[in-house]
Amino acid sequence: MTTRSIPVLDQGAGEFRPPDPDAARRWARDKDRRLVDKRMTEQAAVERFVADGSYVSYDTNVWRRGPSSLMREIIRQHKRDLWLAAKFSAHDATLLTAGGCVSKIDVGWMEVGRIITDAVREGRVKMFEWTNGALAYRHLAGALGVPFLPLRYVGGTDVFHNSGAQLIEDPYTGQPVCLVPAVNPDVALIHVNQCDIYGNARVFGPGLAPVETAMASRHVILSTEEIIDTDEIRKHPAQTTIPYYVVDAVVHAPFGCYPGSVPGLYRADLEHLMEFGAAQLQGTMDAYLEKWVYGVASHTEMMEKRVGLAKMQQLQADETHTEGYYT
Amino acid sequence: MSSATSFTDNEAIITYASRLMDENRLYFVAIGGPPLLAVLLAKQLHAPSIAYVVEDGTIAPEMRLPAPAFMIGAGLASSRAVAWTDMNTVDFHASRGYIDDGVLAAVQVDAYGNFNSTFAGGTYDRPERRFGGPGGATEIASLCWRTMLMTRLQRRKFVEKLDFVSSPGYIDGTPGARERAGLPAGTGPYRVITERAMFGFDEETHRMKLLAVAPWSSIDDVLSDMEFRPVVPDDVVPLEPPTERELDVLRTQVDPSGRTIAGDWIVLDGAAQAAKAAPVAGAS
Repeated sequence: MTTRSIPVLDQGAGEFRPPDPDAARRWARDKDRRLVDKRMTEQAAVERFVADGSYVSYDTNVWRRGPSSLMREIIRQHKRDLWLAAKFSAHDATLLTAGGCVSKIDVGWMEVGRIITDAVREGRVKMFEWTNGALAYRHLAGALGVPFLPLRYVGGTDVFHNSGAQLIEDPYTGQPVCLVPAVNPDVALIHVNQCDIYGNARVFGPGLAPVETAMASRHVILSTEEIIDTDEIRKHPAQTTIPYYVVDAVVHAPFGCYPGSVPGLYRADLEHLMEFGAAQLQGTMDAYLEKWVYGVASHTEMMEKRVGLAKMQQLQADETHTEGYYT
Repeated sequence: MSSATSFTDNEAIITYASRLMDENRLYFVAIGGPPLLAVLLAKQLHAPSIAYVVEDGTIAPEMRLPAPAFMIGAGLASSRAVAWTDMNTVDFHASRGYIDDGVLAAVQVDAYGNFNSTFAGGTYDRPERRFGGPGGATEIASLCWRTMLMTRLQRRKFVEKLDFVSSPGYIDGTPGARERAGLPAGTGPYRVITERAMFGFDEETHRMKLLAVAPWSSIDDVLSDMEFRPVVPDDVVPLEPPTERELDVLRTQVDPSGRTIAGDWIVLDGAAQAAKAAPVAGAS
C-alpha cells in the first residue's frame, strides 16, 4: 500500500474547540433512551445543563424564534465564561455580554453596539470570525459525527486567517478546498413551536439550523410555545424534526421568544426592541436588565408583570400572516 | 418616465440595483436591508415573477406589500414561498451553482471587489468600530455566480486596503486567485452600485471599472471620493436618476416605514437636470 500526505496549503490562526467526534458519541451513548418526561422549569434546565465555561449554541435569535426566556435565565443565574456560537445572532450576544456571562464569541453576524464593542476593546470578550453559513455548517459536521467538512468558501478572506479553517489540496480533484472543524456545543438552546413531554419537536417556518444544532450538541434544552400529546406527534410524524432521544429538557415557555417573534404566532415587540436599543445607547443596560431579568423570578412572571395580557394579545393579533405554520 | 429631483442616496442605490435584476436569474439576498428592498422593487416594477432566496432558508417568497417595518420579526417576509428550508440548505443550493446573483451591502470595498463587514480602524482585537460580522455575505459572494455590492460612494468606503477582508472579490486580481483560495470557478463580483456611480470589473485585470456616472456628478467627482483609481474607460455612460414611479413604489410599498431608504438627500437643481440630456438606462 502506498501512502501520500495531503498538502495543507494554508491554515487560520483562530482558536477553536478541537473536534472530538468520539467524545460526542460517548455523550450520546450516555443519554437516556427511554421515553421519559423531560419537562422542567427554565431554572432547573439552565442549572443542570449550562455550566460556567460552556460552549452555547442557540437557534435562531432574539428577534425571531429564539430561546429568549432561556437566555434571560442564564443571565439571572450569573453563568460565566460562556463561548457563544453567534450564527445569525441578533442582540442575544449583547444581552449575555451585558450580563457578564460571555468570554468568547464565534461570530457569523450579530447586533453590535457599544456593549460588544467595549467588551472586545477591553479584552473581556474575544471574538473569532466565522460566517453564518460556516457556523451552521460546522454544526452540521458536529451533527454528522465527523471531525470536519469541506466547503467552497471562507478561503481568500481574513475570516479564514482568524478562524480554525484550513485550505488543503483536495485528494480527489487536486484543487484547493477549504475545511472547517466540526463544532459540538456543550449545550443547545432551541425554541420550538410544539413538542411533547419527551422532546419530540416541531419547528415551523424557515429556520437557521435547529436540527443541526440539536444533533451536534451534548445537551439540548428545548423551550416550547406549546406541549402537545405524543399521540398527536405520532399522527403526523413527518412534522417531527428533532426526536426525543437527543433532548435533555423541555421547558414550557409560551411567548418564549419575546421580545422577538415566533412567525405564525406573534410578532416582535418593536417597542421593547427600541427600549433595548435606547438602554444600550444611553448606557442604562443595568436598569434594563433589572427590569426584564433580575427583577423577575421567571419568564412567566416577566410576561405577567412586565408585558401583560393586553400586549401579548396585541402581538398575536399583529401577526396577520399565519398561512403555512399550523395548517 | 419622469426623473425625480429629490431622493436619498439609499433610494438611488436601491433603484439602480433593482434595474439590474431580471426574471431569468435567481437571487440570493441578505435577510433585510437594501438588497432585499432592491429585489422587492424589481418585482413590483419590471420583473413580477423574479425569485429570490433568503439566508434563513426561505425560497422564492411572494411577500404581499406594503412590507412590514421589521421584516425579520414578521412572518410576512417569508410568506407564499415555495419552500421553507434552512441556512445550510440554501447555501448548498448556492454551492451547487443554482443561485445566479448574490446581492449584498458592503461597509468597505477595495479595487478587486473584496469587502469588509467586520471592523474599521484599530485591530481585530481592539477595533475602533466593530460591525456585525460577515454574516452570510462570505458564502453568498463566494458561491453565487455573480455578486452585486451596494454601498455609498465615500473615500473611506472605497479604500486601497481593507481593514479586514470579510468576503472575497477577485482577491488580488490575478487570474485564478479565487480558485486558488478554494472558491468555485467562474464566480466573482459583477457590479458595485453607489448613489452616484456604477462600477463593473475589468475582464483582464479584475480591477474595478467605472461604467456609469449620475448626471449631477462627474468622473472627477467620483474619483475624488475613492482612495484607489478604478479603470476609467472612454465610454462611461450617464446613470439615469430614479424615476418618480420607482420612488413612489419604493416609498409606499417596499419600505413604507422608511427605515432602510432613509439617508442623505440628493436634490437636483436646474443645471444638473440640463446635464442629463440623453440619459441611458443603468449600465447592464
